[in-house]
Amino acid sequence: MSEEAVKVRLNQQQLELVDHTVERGEASDREALFRRALREFWQAQSEASTKDRR
Amino acid sequence: MSAPRRVREEIVIEPGTGKGLPLRRGQVLRIEQVAGRQCADFNCFNLHDYKEYLHTGRTRHMHGLHPTRGDFLWSAPPRERPMMAILEDTCGTNDALYPRCSAFLFEYHYGLAVHTNCHDIQAEAQREFGLTPDDVHDSLNFFMHTGVDANGRPFIADNRARPGDYVELLALIDVLAVPNVCGADVMATSNFELKPLRLVVSDASEADWAGIPSMPRYRNQRTPADFKIKEIKADRALRRDPSYTPQFVNVPVAVSEVDIRLDADEREMLARLVATGRFGGTDGEVLRHVFFSWWIGKFMHGPKHFRSS
Repeated sequence: MSEEAVKVRLNQQQLELVDHTVERGEASDREALFRRALREFWQAQSEASTKDRR
Repeated sequence: MSAPRRVREEIVIEPGTGKGLPLRRGQVLRIEQVAGRQCADFNCFNLHDYKEYLHTGRTRHMHGLHPTRGDFLWSAPPRERPMMAILEDTCGTNDALYPRCSAFLFEYHYGLAVHTNCHDIQAEAQREFGLTPDDVHDSLNFFMHTGVDANGRPFIADNRARPGDYVELLALIDVLAVPNVCGADVMATSNFELKPLRLVVSDASEADWAGIPSMPRYRNQRTPADFKIKEIKADRALRRDPSYTPQFVNVPVAVSEVDIRLDADEREMLARLVATGRFGGTDGEVLRHVFFSWWIGKFMHGPKHFRSS
């Protein structure tokens, strides 16, 4: 894991959405949720660009 | 087999006219073409509280520019609940984009100072129930064939409604439904001719209800009981309330920074997304964009109204 963290600016309402999503069991904590989002977003982007190239 | 509907009332509205029809929950209004090619503008109010009315904008938000069978007619914020459901639509060219035509419009566009127009027709029909011209709201336009061109400009196309085509609206609450024969005869709306429309009010059958999904009640579908001022303002002038103190929600909006540690693979993914320049300028901005884009795609309820760049 990188020592240097990415700093994401969020207001209290955005954090509420993040925390609700964690509470629903989508990830173990805020950090895990953002990492999941990044990986799945990246995967979707990769698949879309592969499809576009066909 | 379900019992047929019992017809309660059937009338024909002539060109230049409209009619207010009180409907109880569970009654169906059919608006039917007689000769075809005729637009019907439509207003709708809560029968017991006229301040709750059909909001074409929210309906457009929920169902797009052309609401049809299976869609709802929503009331305005802060009420925002389905008032009626579209049970049937045999033509499929309804419009939630254009505002009603008005006397001003015919004077401005055509130099016609006195002309049939949907605002004044609605106002006259609504006057039977004590409403004023200021109470006419943005219309939903049945059988009006419209679109948006490649430059984002709306257009009116030839009316496609055939004789006998109809829309059927099921009242989900008690309403005053006000259809009118669109007064625009010098626009393409009704193919340059005003024609009558048939209105039929009947009791919904069990089969009609069977297709209506149950709607959960949300805390923010508010009623006057939730308002800080519960009485309807009854004079015209606006004056400052000296005792007013603002009570905005979630103010001040406080921003904080959340640290997200990434592994090497994730760092690389983020760097490549940043390099595209499509999602923001900094690592934090891009990761925030990625998170909310992902969240909308995965969890957001209803129409998403979002296309990631």
